[in-house]
Amino acid sequence: MSNLYERLGGENAVNAAVELFYRKVLADGRIARFFDGVDMDQQIAKQKSFLTMAFGGPNNYTGADMRNAHKRLVAKGLNDSHVDAVIENLNYTLRDLGVPEKEVKEVAAIANSVRDDVLNR
Amino acid sequence: MLKFEDRSVELRLGETVLEALERAGIDAPSSCRSGNCQTCLHRAVEGVPPPESQVGLTEGQKALGFFLPCVCLPASPLTITRPDDVGARRDAVIRAIEPLAPDVIRLRVDADDFAYRPGQFLELVADGDLRRHYSLASHPEDDPFLEMHIRLYENGRMSRRLGEFKPGDRLHVAGPSGTCFYEGVHEEQRLLLIGAGTGLAPLYGVLRDALKRGHLGPIRLYHGARSRDGLYLDEELKALSRTRAHVDYRPCLLDPNAPAGGDVAATALHAEQNVKDSAIFLCGGENLVKRLKRDFFMRGASMKDIRSDAFTPQG
Repeated sequence: MSNLYERLGGENAVNAAVELFYRKVLADGRIARFFDGVDMDQQIAKQKSFLTMAFGGPNNYTGADMRNAHKRLVAKGLNDSHVDAVIENLNYTLRDLGVPEKEVKEVAAIANSVRDDVLNR
Repeated sequence: MLKFEDRSVELRLGETVLEALERAGIDAPSSCRSGNCQTCLHRAVEGVPPPESQVGLTEGQKALGFFLPCVCLPASPLTITRPDDVGARRDAVIRAIEPLAPDVIRLRVDADDFAYRPGQFLELVADGDLRRHYSLASHPEDDPFLEMHIRLYENGRMSRRLGEFKPGDRLHVAGPSGTCFYEGVHEEQRLLLIGAGTGLAPLYGVLRDALKRGHLGPIRLYHGARSRDGLYLDEELKALSRTRAHVDYRPCLLDPNAPAGGDVAATALHAEQNVKDSAIFLCGGENLVKRLKRDFFMRGASMKDIRSDAFTPQG
């Protein structure tokens, strides 16, 4: 059995997902405000990096950057409910792309594993 | 062989450019170290970075030699700089300086060997610390000069200085910078150019470049201004759209009584519902650029198809 990243379709899958995912996040009233004022081009690159990691692709995740990137947002009230909303949008994105439920769950589990880093706990 | 600016950097076998920079003690930011987040972005000013180190960058960035050091195993010699390095200042001489509107001037300067793409911007240096960024409306293959459209601000330091300049006076230029130019566009793609004020300068450069390269798809140019005087290329652009059937020029005078704001952004957003396959160029103040970029993205335009340049007024 090939690994998750290969089963999802590798880099092409990330490319197909990233803009769909970002649109859903920006349209989600629960979390949109955390993206006010961010540079959208830089944000797309960060989202791509996050999705590659969540898809089980090549990454050098250490947690430190995730913590630093979200420190400012935690101060603005970022909490578990917002992480839930992001993972929910990720699930919808994958379903839109026709990804089987088993893989959707695997991706959600990896995304969920960085929750404490995101929330600086 | 690897050089960072003018310094030689040892590159060991199998080592990425990022690893070599770090080992040499050069401050190089990084995050994902797998070619996605673009934190480590650098630019090759000599040599060609391998294609796998440019995956995910825009066509404009690729054309300028930008690459990601964290996934770069060079196959040939490279000289690289930080992404915001504008290089050495060069001498420039004023060729012409004349009004386009009550608060806009056209400045043309001569500078040797200044390579650029229409729509990029340069740094204009008047005296020591007095410098500003201005976009280029000229075309390097047609114009022997660099042309800028400059908004004058009452009491602005550069504005006052420009008022004293006359043809023959010397100043300096550095750059160019920016990726708001005609690259990565299909010749039959719809081209949507939207700008306000002197945001017209880069769009005018892009428009001329598109026509010169034989762009076939429909081109629509919106120019917004607060007053009729501010539509400073109105006659020329109207004449152009009469002779070129695929060029559609839409001047937008600010209408404070309009329900949706009445500015060029509101007008364009109302008229442009289907932008999914358009190549989009946005130039003007930060609010205009941010609003249009976000709304067009949400309407289905891909980020790689949206090029923009946000102006910061500095006087």
